[in-house]
Amino acid sequence: MVPIEPIDEMRHRIRRDEKRGMRTDVVVYASRALLDQVRKDLSLEQAMNVATLPGIVGPSLAMPDIHQGYGFPIGGVAATDYEHGVVSPGGVGFDINCGVRLVRTTLAESDVRPRIKELIDRIFGDVPCGTGGKGGLDLTAKQLTEVLERGAHWTVENGYGEERDVEFAEERGCLAGADPGHVSDRAKERGRRQLGTLGSGNHFLEVQWVERIEDPQAARVLGLEAGQVVVLIHCGSRGLGHQVCTDYLAQMGAAMKRHHISVPDRQLACVPIRSEEGQAYLSAMCAAANFAWANRQAILHRLRGAFQKVFGAQARLSLVYDVCHNIAKRERHRFEGRTVDVLVHRKGATRAFPPGHREIPADYRTIGQPVLIPGSMGTASWVMTGAPGAMEETFGTVCHGAGRLLSRTAAKKGHDAREVEKRLLDNGIFVRSESRDGILEEIPEAYKNVDEVIEVVDRAGLARKVARLRPMGVIKG
Amino acid sequence: MFEILEHTADVGFRARGDSIGDLFANAALALEAIAADISGVEEKAMRPLSAAGEGLDELLVNWLNEVLYYLDGERFVMKRFEIDELVPSRVSGRGWGEPRDDGRHPPRLVVKGVTYHLLEVRRDGGLWHARVILDI
Repeated sequence: MVPIEPIDEMRHRIRRDEKRGMRTDVVVYASRALLDQVRKDLSLEQAMNVATLPGIVGPSLAMPDIHQGYGFPIGGVAATDYEHGVVSPGGVGFDINCGVRLVRTTLAESDVRPRIKELIDRIFGDVPCGTGGKGGLDLTAKQLTEVLERGAHWTVENGYGEERDVEFAEERGCLAGADPGHVSDRAKERGRRQLGTLGSGNHFLEVQWVERIEDPQAARVLGLEAGQVVVLIHCGSRGLGHQVCTDYLAQMGAAMKRHHISVPDRQLACVPIRSEEGQAYLSAMCAAANFAWANRQAILHRLRGAFQKVFGAQARLSLVYDVCHNIAKRERHRFEGRTVDVLVHRKGATRAFPPGHREIPADYRTIGQPVLIPGSMGTASWVMTGAPGAMEETFGTVCHGAGRLLSRTAAKKGHDAREVEKRLLDNGIFVRSESRDGILEEIPEAYKNVDEVIEVVDRAGLARKVARLRPMGVIKG
Repeated sequence: MFEILEHTADVGFRARGDSIGDLFANAALALEAIAADISGVEEKAMRPLSAAGEGLDELLVNWLNEVLYYLDGERFVMKRFEIDELVPSRVSGRGWGEPRDDGRHPPRLVVKGVTYHLLEVRRDGGLWHARVILDI
């Protein structure tokens, strides 16, 4: 068993001398109960492997929703020195800029609940999962290039959204430095017809209502109030991002040899950030991230249409915020009394900048960056805001979800999709999915308790609770 | 020929073959079967497939990436594979199938990528084995 020592109630450490090659400690944010769950899979070993990455600055960090991934654990964070460190495509993952977008509406729970089935059916028709290869915008090669360069701005300028929308997305929905020339033809082909589609797996769209406000002042700034209907969208860069990751992982074996780098797990493959291969990957990653923002923006546009078809013009939808939780970003942080220029890998982790940070939209700057944490299907999701602790300890980062507990196969065992649908319906949640398996794989029991995860983040001072959201309608990709 | 494996966030498979070529063909079939119900796939067309890599691990991952590209990029589903040439640095073969039709080949899981996580390619007695974890 991995030797881990408590730092305090919410923090635990694995010392760097526990395994050969570790350059730094691992710090795990978890309660006792969560830590017991984390120990059941390989995630701590994976966090120790991350600690071997050349140029890592500060500890290898594990968020309370950590679970086993491949290479990096999901819920893992690593900052590497931009001049002398490495970039690891596995530290971003296949679904580049998988993220979450929260939309507020002018409707109340009492308006929507009686018509939830009609609404979900309408959204299900208008926002396709797209797994059948249909339903996305059919982009020309030139349009796709523009999407990769301009992200959500392209979507809005082409009539799929409101100008204000981009103001409320992380990076305003577009990372600078994208180079579509570094995205392969195969990646472009996989993404060309997928803009505006949800995807599958753990991706979803939920119609929710604000059950409880924990921070009235922050809620007011975000335009949230108890009983209000909101929509949470979780998806990423679809096949385009997956292929970008695949393409660069395939090149990494030979590149690592050229740069004399070895890692304990091939899925952690990495190259110097400043190398040709490192820069090529990052420019392709930015392009894929932009595709994801364009995608979530196109989905918002389709969602607006669906709401208005059901509720008429009184249904107005505004973007609260949009975060990405699979990404590597160049940022400046204070570390041990000096300013460092680092690439922060967030693999299933969310940026959480504190009040006053200049990257936060002006309207929100006094309260901190909104952090959107979806829970499992049928339970609850949270809105939080970044707190100073995140800047001091975690390179401005917190968790990204509840964290998986059971494998998809284990989740399906002993359950019947109809029974799960009925149980959710009894709890006031109407679910539609492309496949019955999709519902079973995402049953609430397959995940940790999101409230416990949030409690750790809040008590550790990384982010503050703002509002708890409850679903009433779910579309599962 | 192959069996599906559990993994916390993902899914994997174990494949076997009498020869390394058989193993690669069965691994490709496992990938197809995880992505869709392929029982109704008809062998209407053939696609030439090839991949390169350093060593069998990399070669298998890149081979499966090739198959995955046809599945998700070109949307061509295959149910039979033949390997024409396989050396540790290169593999070429052919796959038979047809364009995807969700009505006749109900989708199962959307595979995002093929990982090196817990990857294994080995020969045990007279049989070749592989273990592959997919990101879904």
